[in-house]
Amino acid sequence: MTGTPGETGGIERLRGHFLVVAAVFRRELATVLRTPGYGVLPVGLLALLGGVIAVGGGAATGFVPAVVDLLLVTEVVVPLVAFVLGYRALLVDAETGELAVIRTYPVAVAGYVAGVVLARVLAFLAVVVVPYAAIGGVVWATAAPDTTIFATHSGIDSPLLYVRFLGLLVPFGMAYLSLATAVSAVVSSRRAAVAVGVLAFVVAVLGSDLAILRALATGTAPSAIPGLLALTPNGAFRGLVFEGVIGVAFAPDGGFVDVGRAVGSLLVWTVSGVAVSTATLAYGDRLEVVIEAVRTRIVD
Amino acid sequence: MTDAVVAELTDVSRTYGGIAVLEGVSLAVRPGVTAVIGPNGSGKSTLLGILSGAVEPTDGRMRYVGPEAPRPIGYLPQRVPFREEFTARETLTFYTRLVAFDADGPEDRIGARGDAPDPEEALERVGLSDAGGKRVGALSGGMRRLLGIAQATVGDPPLVVLDEPASGLDPGMRERAFRTTADASGNGTAVVVSSHDLELVDEYADRVVVLDRGRVRAAGPRERLCSKHGVEDVSGLYRAVVAGDATETADGDEEEPTAVHVTGVSE
Repeated sequence: MTGTPGETGGIERLRGHFLVVAAVFRRELATVLRTPGYGVLPVGLLALLGGVIAVGGGAATGFVPAVVDLLLVTEVVVPLVAFVLGYRALLVDAETGELAVIRTYPVAVAGYVAGVVLARVLAFLAVVVVPYAAIGGVVWATAAPDTTIFATHSGIDSPLLYVRFLGLLVPFGMAYLSLATAVSAVVSSRRAAVAVGVLAFVVAVLGSDLAILRALATGTAPSAIPGLLALTPNGAFRGLVFEGVIGVAFAPDGGFVDVGRAVGSLLVWTVSGVAVSTATLAYGDRLEVVIEAVRTRIVD
Repeated sequence: MTDAVVAELTDVSRTYGGIAVLEGVSLAVRPGVTAVIGPNGSGKSTLLGILSGAVEPTDGRMRYVGPEAPRPIGYLPQRVPFREEFTARETLTFYTRLVAFDADGPEDRIGARGDAPDPEEALERVGLSDAGGKRVGALSGGMRRLLGIAQATVGDPPLVVLDEPASGLDPGMRERAFRTTADASGNGTAVVVSSHDLELVDEYADRVVVLDRGRVRAAGPRERLCSKHGVEDVSGLYRAVVAGDATETADGDEEEPTAVHVTGVSE
């Protein structure tokens, strides 16, 4: 080993934390792989997406038309899959009591949450990105000849635009997966997880757009819409797809959304979900004790 | 065997919904087997949860004062919580990985530990070598508890807390669970175990804590307590102390019970 004792200790400490995260990650991934229900998700998603592009006709036209066909469905299905994969992620160990056992080991709460979330992210990528990639393959095989041209400039359809779309699915899904994980950390039972998960899903998917409409109705300037749109995961994703995929082919000037704010928004949603999960697991018991103290005073 | 205190509870109380389940408990845990006995709802599981760190006390504090260790406290809850789709070996492998690397220890101990626990050895210690490939969901209740005891001792924690490791088992398995528990108390390890099986407590416990209505009624070395109360065994001690309705702190002071008896809350 090289380096000063302090440096070596720091690197070794980091390695130790990494190995603990890796152990939790492997266990969580194995759990996902052994849950038969999760195997149905990509098959169902592929069937749904195949049906959408078959009905919409986008597959026969090109990648960008296919993205246009898929966009609305994607805004509902991707959050739904993220919630299915994440709504019990941290609840399982808490519910069975295994979290209390894990806590007797030298495992940092942040490391435990990171291991669980990373495994679920990988599962999400397999469940969502693979069917979307398969649909891309279908478009490649069935669309008009000029879709094979690799280009990123306006007016030309290209597989690269579809790859961009696939790339945008990842931060969009991660924002919702992180939100679902936070739900799983906050609730104390499976039933509550379903109820809160459904509520969070509906509010996030529909509520955000309704809020923007309401803002317009109450006098917000239309020029503020690109900025407001970026604040919600759906708005940010939709804006980025228009800006980076659909708009590239049809509208060079863009202006659908504030790109920087949209990217930042998805990042903030993701980090916030993980932070809420970590804070809940780290300080939830202490908070419960504070509430108990207040309750006891009231009873007395 | 050293008699140094491994953990201390000082004036620990816990309420649920404003109702006291544990009240003003002070205890010193020493190496050897300490059995916590008491009626259902007396606060045994809550006491063990606080000792393990799984439950936060609403008042007072729990302090681990034993030797420095990567994993100071091992814990097995009343309900064995492992994931059913994993085999016994996979379950223990996961836990051994968590202590295989001491990332938060002092500077001179950071790194891979030379004595990283071997899951096979842990299985062998509780007599589950042949069942290592079985799924947890397919293990019998007794085997699950033995697996739980093996997990609780992974990394050789100086304090091992086992909540009713013999509950719901046939006599043979109960004996085996207690024998394994007693074996775990070697090398200066303090094992705190709750149980309703007073015969086994009589056979294996070095110290006894009698809980009733959330308070410690009697605590100390088993033989001394039996002699003090003029009884022959732990069953007699239980009858004398719990039926006697006198509250006694660890120091022997008499107190009136004030905690509300809530059957089932701590279970």
